[in-house]
Amino acid sequence: MAALVELKSIGKAYPRGAVEITALREVSLSIAAGESVAVMGPSGSGKSTLLGILGCLDRPTRGEYLLDGKEVSSLGDVELSALRNQRIGFVFQSFHLIPQLTVAENVETPLLYGSVPEREWRDRVHACLDKVGLDHRSSHRPSELSGGEAQRAAIARALVTEPQILLADEPTGNLDSVTGEEVAEVLWALHREGRTVVVVTHNETLAARAQRVVRLRDGRIA
Amino acid sequence: MKPRALFRLGLRGLLLHKLRSTLSILGVVFGVAAVVAMSSVGEGARREALDQVGALGMDSVTLRSRRSPSSAGAGALRLRDAESLARVVPHVVATAPVREAALAAEAGGRRADAVAVGTTPDYLLAARLGIAAGRFLAPLDLTDQKRVAVLGASVAAALFPFGPATGERILLGGDWFQVVGVLEGRASARGRATAIRTRDVNRAVFVPLPALDRGSDPRPDGVDEIVLRVDDPRQVSAAAEAAKALVERTGGGAPFDVVVPREILRARERTQRIFNVVTGAIAAISLLVGGIGIMNIMLASVAERTREVGIRRALGATRRDVAAQFLAESSLLTAAGGVLGALLGMAGAGMIQRLAGWPTALSPWMLLLALLTAIAVGVGFGSYPAWLAARLAPMDALRHE
Repeated sequence: MAALVELKSIGKAYPRGAVEITALREVSLSIAAGESVAVMGPSGSGKSTLLGILGCLDRPTRGEYLLDGKEVSSLGDVELSALRNQRIGFVFQSFHLIPQLTVAENVETPLLYGSVPEREWRDRVHACLDKVGLDHRSSHRPSELSGGEAQRAAIARALVTEPQILLADEPTGNLDSVTGEEVAEVLWALHREGRTVVVVTHNETLAARAQRVVRLRDGRIA
Repeated sequence: MKPRALFRLGLRGLLLHKLRSTLSILGVVFGVAAVVAMSSVGEGARREALDQVGALGMDSVTLRSRRSPSSAGAGALRLRDAESLARVVPHVVATAPVREAALAAEAGGRRADAVAVGTTPDYLLAARLGIAAGRFLAPLDLTDQKRVAVLGASVAAALFPFGPATGERILLGGDWFQVVGVLEGRASARGRATAIRTRDVNRAVFVPLPALDRGSDPRPDGVDEIVLRVDDPRQVSAAAEAAKALVERTGGGAPFDVVVPREILRARERTQRIFNVVTGAIAAISLLVGGIGIMNIMLASVAERTREVGIRRALGATRRDVAAQFLAESSLLTAAGGVLGALLGMAGAGMIQRLAGWPTALSPWMLLLALLTAIAVGVGFGSYPAWLAARLAPMDALRHE
């Protein structure tokens, strides 16, 4: 089976004043379509950097990144943005909902930047909210939601463009264990439906439910 | 992103901080208001001047003796000057001497305040009057010293509200006159103090010059005014020069004015240009100040919404989308300021007209220009903040607290 995600000797270095900080070195990783992968590692091991590159939010300074067989590390802003919009759904630790928008408007936001016809937006938004059991909260503001609800709203937003890959960055990190478990269950249910799920986490119980665990240490796969 | 979505997004951003948005556009509001009010005053003055000069005619010259207390009624102009002028001045087609007196006109128990104007048949042509009914003064009226009168539109309406005035008789300054004609009404600057003094023909009663008896006139052959008309507007300055030279020779040093509407209009246009430059400078300064306010608020907005930028980038917004969002905000902000400013300026112009009595006029082009300029200020001064937002690195923006 062809890999959906193929990282070849990826390196990433940031200039910090005069010195250069190397966040990733020689990372090679292949993720098949429909696979679930947990990325683990201590703070500063390069997890976030890896997630940023996987999510096309950042470009690697070296190496190749093939997404669905296509080289993406050299693409321009417009193409990368389109990839993020159509191929990748993000779920963040602190939810990252836009506070002044309602839940439904938050879920709708990715559609603003895509090519889905506007008449389908409403149905899509409500279908996604329904899927995470949050349709009754659609006109609330994020500040009126509990942590678990906020993260489920964020998952609905990640799903609205029907991406192939879900990238979750510590999705349960800001939740207590019970609601964390609920959110994890939503994620794994999405994986069972056939989506590729990549979870970056410290949480061993969450990671244990992934098909594969990748451990990072000092910018390398351990 | 579609324009409609962009518009909604911009509007949302503004409604996020209603007070702040409102305060930030005050500069633009007052700038636009000042410019709209000032240019309405300028436009009003321009149109009034045009109206007055148009009423006098671009091809007319008016000589008017200046009554000063020291000269005690001994004016520079005399009846025979009119005859000389008709002969001497080139291109003259009509010459009308005028003598006037403020008298009450009465008929059938009604009274009207009127200006009795003693003149010759030439006045019809010289002052471009129109006849509504009957006829104007005829040469025979003068030679036979007939007591006939031609009424201005307002006088006719006041004295004979229910029937035709022609054929009726009116009492003017103690003498009876037969009404032979009524003039067409003419829009005029109603008694306001203006740079160009024009006779309100609506309130005038025209009678043959010899018939206007002013009692103890120190100079029986003196006239107040001589109105000339030339056949070519381009010859009007030359005609004015010639007329002036002649009267200076014969008038014995008594002061008189030469009113050339065409030259007055030219002078007006020069003043208008200065006024326009001043208005433009005020516009530029106030829009600069307004624009700085907008930039300030947009910089604050970008700084405060860095995380939102990161989120939107992660969800698929391009740099362009982010820039467009902030530009939509800043231009909506200044467009709103432009609309409010235009309304305030129109209200201000109305106040000026009511309180100061100056005429004001608004051209729709001016309003459109004000609005477009305001939007341009929003785009111009919003560009730098929008660019800052667009070039944020998504990962850094997401981590921003």
